[in-house]
Amino acid sequence: MRFNLVLDVPDVPGQLLEVLEPMGRLGANIVAVIHQRDVKTERGTVPVHITIEGDKEILDKVMDALESKDINILEVDGVIRKEQITTVLVGDIVEEDLQDTVSKLNKLNTVKVADLDLKMSDEPRNSATMMVIEADFGQRKEVLKNIKKLGAQKGFLVINEV
Amino acid sequence: MKIVILGFGAVGQGIARVISMKKDYLKNRYELNPQIVAVCDRSGAAICETGLDEELLLQTKNDTGKIALYPDYGFPDRDSLQVLDEIEYDCLVEVTPTDIDDGEPARTHIMKAMEDGKDVVTSNKGPLALSFQDLADCAIKNNVEFKFEASVGGAMPILNLAHETLAGCSIKSVYGILNGTTNYILSRMANEGSSYEQTLKEAQEMGIAETDPYQDVEGIDAACKIVILANSVLNLPVTLKDVKVEGISKITSESISLAKKEGLLIKLIGEASSDDLEVSPRLVRQGSPFAVEGTLNVATLKTDLADDITVVGKGAGSVETASAILSDIVSIWKMRS
Ligand SMILES: NC(=O)c1ccc[n+]([C@@H]2O[C@H](COP(=O)([O-])OP(=O)(O)OC[C@H]3O[C@@H](n4cnc5c(N)ncnc54)[C@H](OP(=O)(O)O)[C@@H]3O)[C@@H](O)[C@H]2O)c1
Repeated sequence: MRFNLVLDVPDVPGQLLEVLEPMGRLGANIVAVIHQRDVKTERGTVPVHITIEGDKEILDKVMDALESKDINILEVDGVIRKEQITTVLVGDIVEEDLQDTVSKLNKLNTVKVADLDLKMSDEPRNSATMMVIEADFGQRKEVLKNIKKLGAQKGFLVINEV
Repeated sequence: MKIVILGFGAVGQGIARVISMKKDYLKNRYELNPQIVAVCDRSGAAICETGLDEELLLQTKNDTGKIALYPDYGFPDRDSLQVLDEIEYDCLVEVTPTDIDDGEPARTHIMKAMEDGKDVVTSNKGPLALSFQDLADCAIKNNVEFKFEASVGGAMPILNLAHETLAGCSIKSVYGILNGTTNYILSRMANEGSSYEQTLKEAQEMGIAETDPYQDVEGIDAACKIVILANSVLNLPVTLKDVKVEGISKITSESISLAKKEGLLIKLIGEASSDDLEVSPRLVRQGSPFAVEGTLNVATLKTDLADDITVVGKGAGSVETASAILSDIVSIWKMRS
């Protein structure tokens, strides 16, 4: 079988080899590599398109090896991979317009608020909301930064994952 | 090895206690014979060039509160700098209170000892958080050893672990629960559903939180430790003002119970990496190494070769903290002999 992967690779010497190493070592057949150095992201990474061929077992091992090397896999066979980010906000959630908070988060690049829980307090500024947010792989840092920024604007304490 | 102890509170007394307890062990195992030749507190000093008696030091402090009342060898009104000038010694143990405005009096004590060519061991975060690089440079210039394992996480080994045990690894980042008081408060709030104010009050009554809890609950104490880790382990020349700090005083029982529904806990986490220096409340998974309760501390080193290394231990306590100071003393002794 065959996998078309899009990987997110830092644009520094040696990084592409680092990505190809487990493929060779585990015996996957590398069919194509497209390294687009001109489409650098804000994070200083470049998307690398790689097509590999082999038994399913081998390809699964390659995916595990890439993940254990902290290499971001953005797409597999054209499907964008998502990760979940949980955050808790403390403050006057309702007064500060919950709907507006959610829609501002949804406007961020690739972000969708997937789940939301609210706990009201007798003291309105002690209220809290917990959100589960979905974003494309590799976006975690950026998304967390934006949640902090939005929290600061609305006077919320933002509690992100470690 | 002749030792001067400046400060004779919880930690200073802990050192006298561990030296007394471990005499034979240190002699048999390392041929180390530590002699406490002077001790200072605010009352003055006890000085004896051939070695003070550890048990008598503890008894004097316990009974009178004043080390200057040590029988025959007590000197009221003798201050620390005079003592450092007058006496022959090898190693200064600086354990006066932490000051985060100017790092004094510890900063002056440490600098003077190093300029006089003496090795220094400290648990004092103040001078390290404010002027780490000056102190480290001073140690190099004067060719002396300067060690401070106890300043981060008390008994929990982290600095020497990073430098010695993991000597072949590059450390990319460090994060951890570095303040026992706040961890105690957050654990109690999670277990009992109690409010922040009520839990703080109980912690104060139990002597776990200080009467003025500001530095603990607002994250300053953890931030000092993050500065020390950033300098010592990551080689980042930063000081306290470079750390973004948010404490736990805004944490509500509502937010804790929401997090619990998803199997998460709220903990005060310090983090140091080349692009982030931060102390803030964060979410951790129940059942993960960071889900520690009570006053425990925990820290993870992210390394290039060994992946993640996590340690847990007691972040405070008299004998516990003294254990880290004793490790530093032994390692200086091994280097010198
Ligand atoms: N306690 C812990 O578990 C722990 C853990 C890690 C790090 N630390 C750090 O270790 C240090 C000592 O902590 P501690 O708990 O032992 O503090 P402490 O109980 O308050 O004791 C401080 C001692 O310093 C003495 N002192 C104050 N000013 C002095 C001066 N100018 N010259 C000489 N002595 C002076 C005090 O004298 P009097 O007795 O006369 O008042 C007292 O004996 C602090 O920097 C702290 O942050 C403590």
